[in-house]
Amino acid sequence: MASPKNHRHHLHPNGDHKTHVPKKPKLAAALITDSEVQSEFAHHDPSVARINNGSFGSCPASVVAAQQRWQLRFLRQPDHFYFNVLKQGILESRGVIKNLVNAEDVGEISIVDNATTAVAIVLQQIAWGFAEGRFAKGDVAVMLHYAYGAVKKSVEAYVTRAGGRVIEVQLPFPVSSKEEIVSEFRAALERGKVDGSKVRLAVIDHVTSMPSVVIPVKELVKICRQEGVDHVFVDAAHGIGCVDLDMKEIGADFYTSNLHKWFFCPPGVAFLYCRKSSGSLDLHHPVVSDEYGKGLAIESAWIGTRDYSAQLVVPSVLEFVNRFEGGIDGIKKRNHEAVVRMGEMLEEAWGTNLGCPPDMCGSMIMVGLPACLEISSYADTLKLRAHLRESFGIEVPIYYRSPKEGEVGPITGYARISHQVYNKEEDYHKFRDVIDKLVGNKFTCKLLHD
Amino acid sequence: MERRDGGGGGGGEDGRHASRNGSCERSPKKAKLLPVPPEPISGPELRSEFSHHQRGVARINNGSFGSCPGSVLAAHRDWLLRFLRQPDDFYFNSLRGGILRSRSLIGDLINADDVGEVSLVDNATTAAAIVLQQVGRGFAESRFAPGDAVLMFHCVFQAVKKSIQAYVASAGGSIVEVELPFPVSSDEEVIAAFRRGLERGKRNGRRVRLAIIDHITSMPSVLIPVKELVKICREEGVDQVFVDAAHAIGSVEVDVKEIGADFYVSNLHKWFFCPPSVAFLYCRKSSGLVSDMHHPVVTHEYGNGLPVESAWIGTRDYSSQLVVPAVFEFVKRFEGGIRGIIKRNHEQVVKMGRMLAESWGTNLGSPPEMCASMIMVGLPSRLCVFSGEDALRLRSYLRVNHGIEVPIHYQAPADGVDGPRDKDGSITGYARISHQVYNTEDDYFKFRDAINQLVENNLTCKMLLIE
Repeated sequence: MASPKNHRHHLHPNGDHKTHVPKKPKLAAALITDSEVQSEFAHHDPSVARINNGSFGSCPASVVAAQQRWQLRFLRQPDHFYFNVLKQGILESRGVIKNLVNAEDVGEISIVDNATTAVAIVLQQIAWGFAEGRFAKGDVAVMLHYAYGAVKKSVEAYVTRAGGRVIEVQLPFPVSSKEEIVSEFRAALERGKVDGSKVRLAVIDHVTSMPSVVIPVKELVKICRQEGVDHVFVDAAHGIGCVDLDMKEIGADFYTSNLHKWFFCPPGVAFLYCRKSSGSLDLHHPVVSDEYGKGLAIESAWIGTRDYSAQLVVPSVLEFVNRFEGGIDGIKKRNHEAVVRMGEMLEEAWGTNLGCPPDMCGSMIMVGLPACLEISSYADTLKLRAHLRESFGIEVPIYYRSPKEGEVGPITGYARISHQVYNKEEDYHKFRDVIDKLVGNKFTCKLLHD
Repeated sequence: MERRDGGGGGGGEDGRHASRNGSCERSPKKAKLLPVPPEPISGPELRSEFSHHQRGVARINNGSFGSCPGSVLAAHRDWLLRFLRQPDDFYFNSLRGGILRSRSLIGDLINADDVGEVSLVDNATTAAAIVLQQVGRGFAESRFAPGDAVLMFHCVFQAVKKSIQAYVASAGGSIVEVELPFPVSSDEEVIAAFRRGLERGKRNGRRVRLAIIDHITSMPSVLIPVKELVKICREEGVDQVFVDAAHAIGSVEVDVKEIGADFYVSNLHKWFFCPPSVAFLYCRKSSGLVSDMHHPVVTHEYGNGLPVESAWIGTRDYSSQLVVPAVFEFVKRFEGGIRGIIKRNHEQVVKMGRMLAESWGTNLGSPPEMCASMIMVGLPSRLCVFSGEDALRLRSYLRVNHGIEVPIHYQAPADGVDGPRDKDGSITGYARISHQVYNTEDDYFKFRDAINQLVENNLTCKMLLIE
């Protein structure tokens, strides 16, 4: 009986490790079967239609097992692990990532806990720029209005507090073309350069969180270069495994993506790419250790005693994705096709709409919820989400969209559905049927108010 | 008996944790399920709890990376699986309550007034960054004058030293180092050195904005009279006092109110059996500094207070912070609980230290009352430990060739002072031996014999060949 264990997940014991990781997926002995996939995710709550891979990701059992082996190696003899094993292990993980994202040099890849940490690292240096007088008070940071909440707070804590001015790019939603985004972005840059201020930083999501849309980052980075923006930072929390990433092509100064969302790593691990070129900011990890000053990648690889196993399993994760046809690219393609198909199925069943055209989404898509549910606030979305979870076993985040003036029967609620390898069509049928039932019973969000 | 399963059970049920004060006099309702065991943990049970430690290694360095028993590791795995099973539900319904429970238990243990004073972070290194960033902002925002001083022991942990450079020196603060006398023979020596350092700090009308005081220094390791030093800081007008007690919890009794510092941090994974990694950072409410303490990783919780900020720094594995109740259950299985463990570790490490010093004809780096669960033992001068490299070489040699894990410290002879000597010369190398519940006397005999063998074979550090 074939089991995932037949495919050796080697941990590179001392002296026995791969030094070159091929970019193209190795042909596995046999592709992973459907039942093996279900077995890999058998630890997921079976009673839940888990259509929210986007929030917290997912991790297959064989990777969890690999992680536990790393943890035990440390616990077994931590001094030996620290002196002889850890650094090499992190370097290998960085090498795998470098190949996956087409970075020039492994020195450009640092590993941190999550995109939120990467954002703090970049913004911390922007704050120093103001503190040291390299940036003038009132110089600008540009970010998307739909930037992740944590990023907004980080910008407040590091940029606004240091004297910088923040400009938000308004984005339409629903959105119907890349051009809409590009023109809003240009307009925001203009506002930033008013009064002769310099735009020191542009923070651009690759895939916005809520509402979720794929942003044409390559075009926006180009515009930033044309308009003299100092530093461009792409926040691709949802990047790797969800959209195509190519560091050289995208051309940003900094780029971060979580590996635990769409790349099957355990929580939490992300990479921060820093383009090797002159004029780049000198980044540091905020938790300073004795490795301070040796470059971000080295600093991040030792921030005091802690569990680095999530960072060390990356080679095992690559082995896992290569058991799928086409490797991570194949997974991405099939997730995209499935989520679009499911999104279209739902909008048709409910008579609503999608939040964006199929070519502006990755493995997630926004689906309008029936207007009669009367989702009228952010608070309603939280309550409805909890209601779906607790009463129906459906996990899906909901977004509130304020209606525009004059809109008749507006769609104010959108569900962000995800598709990952463990999902089945039944998950989305369950969601469809529950919403149909709620509509049939004349349920509204008012009923959830106390 | 149900208790033998390791008591931690993933923390799945509420209430499976120690009552207040860490004892069971008043059992909360649910703790009826877990009576205090009639007998302390047995020898075989203890060995089983640490059976994942590498066989054949005399592991006498608990101080560096700590240790975690099997039952706590099982609870740790359970927490991660709970998250993986349904992470949204975990995030919305389990995480915060779990962290608050851990913080409450620790707050009680350290005698904090208010759980709001207790934050959980990854390790002392992280806590130092938080405190020092706050001080750095004082300079950057001109509340402190350029040149105002930050005071610390010269042997402060290297990461902390770098953190001071990164956040304080670069913002215009000046650094004043206090030489820790070593070997040391009394608290008075340390206090006198500290007073001298403080005088230098205040020279030319400077303000001393921050004093960083180790509760137990790392290398060389000495138990510092923190209470007295904090008092002196207050008398001498030091703005903020930060006690870096990375080693303290689980090796000495900790009463943060008595100690009276503004900030106090200790790692729970070193001497308190937690998995890597988790530390608590105590911030005294009455100091009025809490509102400007922030976790550097900013999330939507920014501004909700450091404990809340630290409890959510983006998606990651919080299991090490969540298992604290299981750890409290573990220590209760020992006679006298954590107090008993502290007492016995101390007695044993002193006994073993003396045994080694006697066998080698050397000395101890401090008197017994100036150490906790670690002690510095002089190495025979004939080994010729003349540099940090020599010390590291000897350490690697012992690990690889003898299966002995022990950190070695090089103590440069002080100018013009006759340092400690053995019959052959000056003692400049010290081993920092630790004692934790899993250690046996054989661990130290093995070390004793390995060193004696080196001396017999006339080997010095520089001559050591590492396989």
